[in-house]
Amino acid sequence: MPPIAQYVFNGLVTGGILALPAVAFSLLWRLLRFPNFAVSTYLTVGAYAALALNQSARASIGLAWLGALVVTGVVALVVDRIAFRPLRTRRPFALAIASIGVAFVLENLVRFTWGNDFRSYDVPVTRAMSVAGLLVGRDQLVILAVATALMALAQGFLHRTRLGIAMRATADNPLLAAVKGVPTERVIALATLGGGALAGGAGVFLGLDASIDPLMGGGLIISVFAAVILGGIGSAPGALAGALIVGVMEEVGTLAVPPTYKTAIGFAIIVLVLLVRPTGLAGARA
Amino acid sequence: MIAYLTAIAILVGIRALLTLGLNVQWGLTGLVNLGVVAFFAVGAYTSALLAVGGAPLALAWPAGIALAAAGGAAMATIALRLREDYLAIVTLGFAEVLRLFLLNEAWLTRGANGVTAIPRPFHARFAAHYDLFYLLLVLATVALAYAALERLRRSPFGRVLRAIREDETVAAVSGKPVFRFKVQAFALGAGIAGAAGILFAHYLAYVEPNMFLPQESLLVWLALILGGSGNNRGALVGSAVLLGLLEGSRFAKDVIPFLTGVRLAAVQQILVGVVLVVLMIRRPEGLLPETPGSE
Repeated sequence: MPPIAQYVFNGLVTGGILALPAVAFSLLWRLLRFPNFAVSTYLTVGAYAALALNQSARASIGLAWLGALVVTGVVALVVDRIAFRPLRTRRPFALAIASIGVAFVLENLVRFTWGNDFRSYDVPVTRAMSVAGLLVGRDQLVILAVATALMALAQGFLHRTRLGIAMRATADNPLLAAVKGVPTERVIALATLGGGALAGGAGVFLGLDASIDPLMGGGLIISVFAAVILGGIGSAPGALAGALIVGVMEEVGTLAVPPTYKTAIGFAIIVLVLLVRPTGLAGARA
Repeated sequence: MIAYLTAIAILVGIRALLTLGLNVQWGLTGLVNLGVVAFFAVGAYTSALLAVGGAPLALAWPAGIALAAAGGAAMATIALRLREDYLAIVTLGFAEVLRLFLLNEAWLTRGANGVTAIPRPFHARFAAHYDLFYLLLVLATVALAYAALERLRRSPFGRVLRAIREDETVAAVSGKPVFRFKVQAFALGAGIAGAAGILFAHYLAYVEPNMFLPQESLLVWLALILGGSGNNRGALVGSAVLLGLLEGSRFAKDVIPFLTGVRLAAVQQILVGVVLVVLMIRRPEGLLPETPGSE
């Protein structure tokens, strides 16, 4: 049996992937004030967009990854325009329900086009390296590095650029921000585009790390929520920390419970956080 | 043909019951339950397992309802302490984890094989026209639930629920214990879903985990929004129209030859999603709008 450190490492990789949709989800929730269930399905969209580029158009996986960012960002933007924008002034949870509808539509468009089979990318097979007794895949290192870089980029954007600061202002108090001249719809469009791209990129990573199938993104929804709630809604560093913790707990947890119960571990984390510290680690009151 | 229509009518009745349950939660109180199917499953499995184990139905049925309601109360208590949108997530997660539990804990639930030979009530007595008898049983249950919920909607309790839906701060300022009302409303809706599950299990005489997939919850939502949420009559109409559409689309396979099974199912779900979103945007009040101020 591999040492426990192997589980922790694998969990960190999963957590790194999870962090991208978690940050997107968390910021969009704070900004638009509804949990957008379509975000985890954007992972599926990204994964299949890259699959089409990688297999049909023979693009390298790096290029296909960039393509997936663009495609998923645009899909998220289109979805927002068609489905969410007309509902912005409606009863608060109408949007949450609409987002479930959107998630089903996207997932089944993928299923209609590619079927239910498991697929994988056309990538050169590399041997996993052995580092200090751990099996470390080259893909895993790339995933961790890129995920970390993207998180740093998101954090920098939110705190250092005018638009990022405007985004946080709108999230805190939309009315005040609008009065101060922040173009609300533009901020929402940018957040949607960026959030969609992050989730789409994560989908390609997930496809590399595991496999590609229509349920891959939707199946992660509980884990993404667990990460967001653990980190505290609206906090990017919180979502990252939450995602790493959830990723590690889900991997290490397979030592105690069957792997089919991974989702249950995420759910247990959600329940525990809500019972013990419902504001999350970051402690921001949303 | 008569047999087919009777079977369909039974399923419409069961769906109508589920929709009435969701109407208490979302339509009256404004609480989002994305795991309707979980409470349906709790009712179905509790009653089925007890009955197969030899318990009389007079015990198995109330137990199914009670456990579903208790599950609802637990989820609402956990989720509603801080903010309402957590309930959407907790219910969605509960449905998924429950399905995993049903699949994996074969010692209790018989796993993927499902529970078979669930006793059908009064089967010996009405064997000749059993579906007809069952239809009457389902219709009687729906009528009872409808009458009770109509009364409830107009009662002081129902008025508080609607007040919470419109503005819970106002309700709280008027001295209403908002949290307690929400938990009660949610448990009531879950109990009704449990009753629907019981009728479902004892009609089919067989349940298995894949009958309780997440899309079933979405269908209940669609029926409610279609009919007109907040309105019990709308819940009934929505369920009937929805099942008509679903059954009708099964025949699409015969008309459009290139649709394979997987693709047909995908198209059906795409339509469900699209119709739900379009209704939300274009006609949120549904076919039968809730009449304002109806006392």
